[in-house]
Amino acid sequence: MSATPDSLAQLLQSAAAMQESGRAVLKTMLGMGEIEVGTSEKRCVYSEDKIRLYRYAPLARSAGLKPLLICYAMVNRPYLLDLQPDRSFIRELLHAGLDVYLLDWGYPDGADRFSSFDDYVDGYLRRCVEFVLKEHAIDALTLLGVCQGGTMSLCYAALEPRQIAQLITMVTPVDFKTPENLLSKWAQHIDVGLLTQSGNVSGDFLNLVYLSLMPFRLTQQKYVNLLQMQGDRVQLENFMRMEKWIFDSPDQPAAAFREFIQWFFQENRLIRGELTLAGNAVRLENVTAPVLNIFASKDHLVPPSASIPLGAHIGSKDYEALEIDAGHIGLYVGGKTRKTVPAAVVAWLRKRN
Amino acid sequence: MSAQPFSAGFLKAWIDQAGAIQDLFARFADQSSVGLPPSMPPPHLAPWKEFVDRLGMGESNFSAMFAGAPALGLGREYQETVQRLLDLSRQFQQRYAEFAQQNVAVMQDAFHVMKKRVDAAPSAPSADLYDAWIDCAEGAYHQAAHSDSFARLLADLCNISSAIKVERGKLTEQLARHLDLPSRAEVDSLHRQVRELIATVRAAAGAASSPAKAPATAPAPAAAPAKPSKPARTPRKRSKK
Repeated sequence: MSATPDSLAQLLQSAAAMQESGRAVLKTMLGMGEIEVGTSEKRCVYSEDKIRLYRYAPLARSAGLKPLLICYAMVNRPYLLDLQPDRSFIRELLHAGLDVYLLDWGYPDGADRFSSFDDYVDGYLRRCVEFVLKEHAIDALTLLGVCQGGTMSLCYAALEPRQIAQLITMVTPVDFKTPENLLSKWAQHIDVGLLTQSGNVSGDFLNLVYLSLMPFRLTQQKYVNLLQMQGDRVQLENFMRMEKWIFDSPDQPAAAFREFIQWFFQENRLIRGELTLAGNAVRLENVTAPVLNIFASKDHLVPPSASIPLGAHIGSKDYEALEIDAGHIGLYVGGKTRKTVPAAVVAWLRKRN
Repeated sequence: MSAQPFSAGFLKAWIDQAGAIQDLFARFADQSSVGLPPSMPPPHLAPWKEFVDRLGMGESNFSAMFAGAPALGLGREYQETVQRLLDLSRQFQQRYAEFAQQNVAVMQDAFHVMKKRVDAAPSAPSADLYDAWIDCAEGAYHQAAHSDSFARLLADLCNISSAIKVERGKLTEQLARHLDLPSRAEVDSLHRQVRELIATVRAAAGAASSPAKAPATAPAPAAAPAKPSKPARTPRKRSKK
């Protein structure tokens, strides 16, 4: 490509336009103030150590469905599901008349370094499930697990199948060793015992790993694209909410993290039927409740190939897989999917109640 | 019996050493030492270097000697930790250089693909060119990142960093003990005791609420036999009547 006076003039014009956009973006950002997330009304109904179980205030007449408990991942904060009023997976469920509970793992610190994966699944999650069952005087509830929380929900459903009326897994890894799974490839040679010997694994370390999956898009292009927003306050606020969530990764309790990486990523125990929690074998064939497995076709963190095998390994005869044309995060906050995904969940639940 | 030769030899060696040390301190006092190339240590450190050289422990020899020196005596634990830290730092630098080289290769691959794209559409707007560049870079990176060699390189960097953190922790632990500050080992020990206690209480509460059923959570190993309480470290004073 050779430079002509015309192309040079064009280049200078775009540079000037970019500078102008940058100025507008900066001006809007400086006047933005504190960003609010997770604004739907909720109250803490059970707490233990760092964990909190929230119950959301209803937004519509009850649909008469079983209460739904959301088990989110430990590696990120759960307010992604209630990011802002017009991008809230939880709010959509509430509008459909569901009674929604959310298990928030909190921010583990040094006092949690010896908390094991057992403690989280067979301890905290168990006690939250039992709390909801007791509160509603019922035998079984709907469990919805997200990402790593989906894997934890699967483990729990396999251990306590009678407490689970329906199970919904969203972008949940089941087979951790598929060729598309970059995180898994990187995890294979990590000495996770050594990594966790000095205590909890920092959220910054996790963020660095996530950014390394697509470094050019996530550390450069994303910020250059900000300029296209031309100082649009609403768009910039949306961007900043997402930015806050992305880098708000809690530290991971050393023991639980070590076990999760070793048992799931390195040894793939869940799908091989070799996982044991609290002295009990975790057999996916014990999962007999109806299962809705939602995965995202453009997911770079949990590729579809990691989620799809679930159907072939569970004991449930009522299994449905739902592929969404989105990425790992876009599934909840994307333009169309933020409405269609919760609607699909509600429709699936209605059919089974 | 003549001790003359030994005494004379000893005396000469002593005078030489003392003279060297005296010279060293004299040169320390003189901050105007000159004649050193700019890359050398600052002038006030030059006397040290000269002194060490004179003893046959030149710069490179010294670091090599320390790295491989057997750990003996009072400071052996400390010496071993420092030696491991030095070795790990060297390993990290080596692997990081390979990592940087790999990144250069990724960028070169990306440039080749980008050049083809630009040749195919030379008059594309700059924003499109930028997006095309990101696509090329991600494509080249994706290919490299999925390779086993890349995974091993990342794992090595992570594992070496973890080992450095562990060794650094040992030094901090020593320092904390010297200063009578709570150390990590001490806090860990307390955490374990608290965990055992919680498990014991939970198991007892579960058994009390439903004696016929097994407790919801598995009791901790320490839950079964209650340990006899230890005597208090400082006996309480009895009030005298």
